Amino acid sequence: MLPSSSYQPNYFSIEDILATQERTPCKFLQDVPRMGKLNPSAEEKDLKVGTELELPLWLVLDGAAGRQLILAPELPKIYREAYREILKADATAIDLHKFNLYFYELGSYIKHFDRRGDVHNILLHTFTTRFRLIMDLANNADSDPTIQNKLDTLERRLFKDGHNARMKLNTWLLESGIPLKAASMVDNHRKRKRVNEELV
Amino acid sequence: MDPDEVEFLGEKSMIEIVPTFNSAPIYFIGGDVGPFRASIPLRVPLWVAVHLKQQQQCKIIPPDWMDLEKLENLKEEEKSNRSFIKMPSEHYIVEAKLILGCAADDIPRTDEIRTIIKDIWDIRKSKLRSSMDQMIKKSAMYAAVDNLTLMEINSIRPLLPHALEQIYRIKSNKRAILNRTQGSVTTPSNATGSFTN
Repeated sequence: MLPSSSYQPNYFSIEDILATQERTPCKFLQDVPRMGKLNPSAEEKDLKVGTELELPLWLVLDGAAGRQLILAPELPKIYREAYREILKADATAIDLHKFNLYFYELGSYIKHFDRRGDVHNILLHTFTTRFRLIMDLANNADSDPTIQNKLDTLERRLFKDGHNARMKLNTWLLESGIPLKAASMVDNHRKRKRVNEELV
Repeated sequence: MDPDEVEFLGEKSMIEIVPTFNSAPIYFIGGDVGPFRASIPLRVPLWVAVHLKQQQQCKIIPPDWMDLEKLENLKEEEKSNRSFIKMPSEHYIVEAKLILGCAADDIPRTDEIRTIIKDIWDIRKSKLRSSMDQMIKKSAMYAAVDNLTLMEINSIRPLLPHALEQIYRIKSNKRAILNRTQGSVTTPSNATGSFTN
């Protein structure tokens, strides 16, 4: 059973297309003839060296590749130092959906613009710290359905898969005439006592 | 895997019954069952037992471990132990559900047994959850899953494997562009490792 979230970008992947249309700031290293139209603030026919523009990522990727570099990409603001600090402080508190719909997808492109690997580390850090959040959500999603709005697309898919599996298991546990259940007294506690706090 | 598929696998485990009828052996692809002699106990696959029980043609003798005292001990041990302890049966949850579901009258103190098995299940699930979280947080390379039963392993699918796969993607996502921006022509493999860790 191949997992549905085994996602590898390819030419026709809608998600990849959507992720790569994010505006990415970049600076031109060469004059580009007849491309003045890309710069809406200038009337000239050619793009001058040193122009700073925000272009979609798919264009930037090609411009920043090859033997002759046409432009130098910069990090979009959500991957810059200030935002990285926020993520480092507490990644679980963040509305990643507002940051970017494709935080991780975009991040894995963007991180190549960052030589020091900070972006790479923050992606990993964000994912690993938020995993608990996703897992807990998937296990008890009925408590607050709006909370999944804080997840980015990739996390949301993980959540959905996890949630479906969880629901199946719950139905299975309940479907026999006499379900396996915890003592009613335990259920009546608003919160179940942890068995042994440091063990579990 | 669906829980139902796990149940199907669990139904193959053997259980002792006391039939109330006589019959020649029944030949199945998976093996022969019988012969049945009234009130002579014999071992049959769980699914046969459940089927016969539903037709009121046998009494199910609960497995040794389905005993309140033993389960109490098991629960205490599970509580005090940091790792998972060995369960008496690879499919304890399936067996418990099926047997308690259809043969409640053959087992003394069904309600208490049902409750305690659910407690054990819950304790193990919460252990499983915290160890999953730790594993992801520490980016551990592997985890020992000794003594986990099939249903428990199945309960963390597909979340854990998918999450690990995404971590792998984040870690290994080196594209050829990296080399190209450096202006040198290198094989993609040369680029890996520069950012990891």
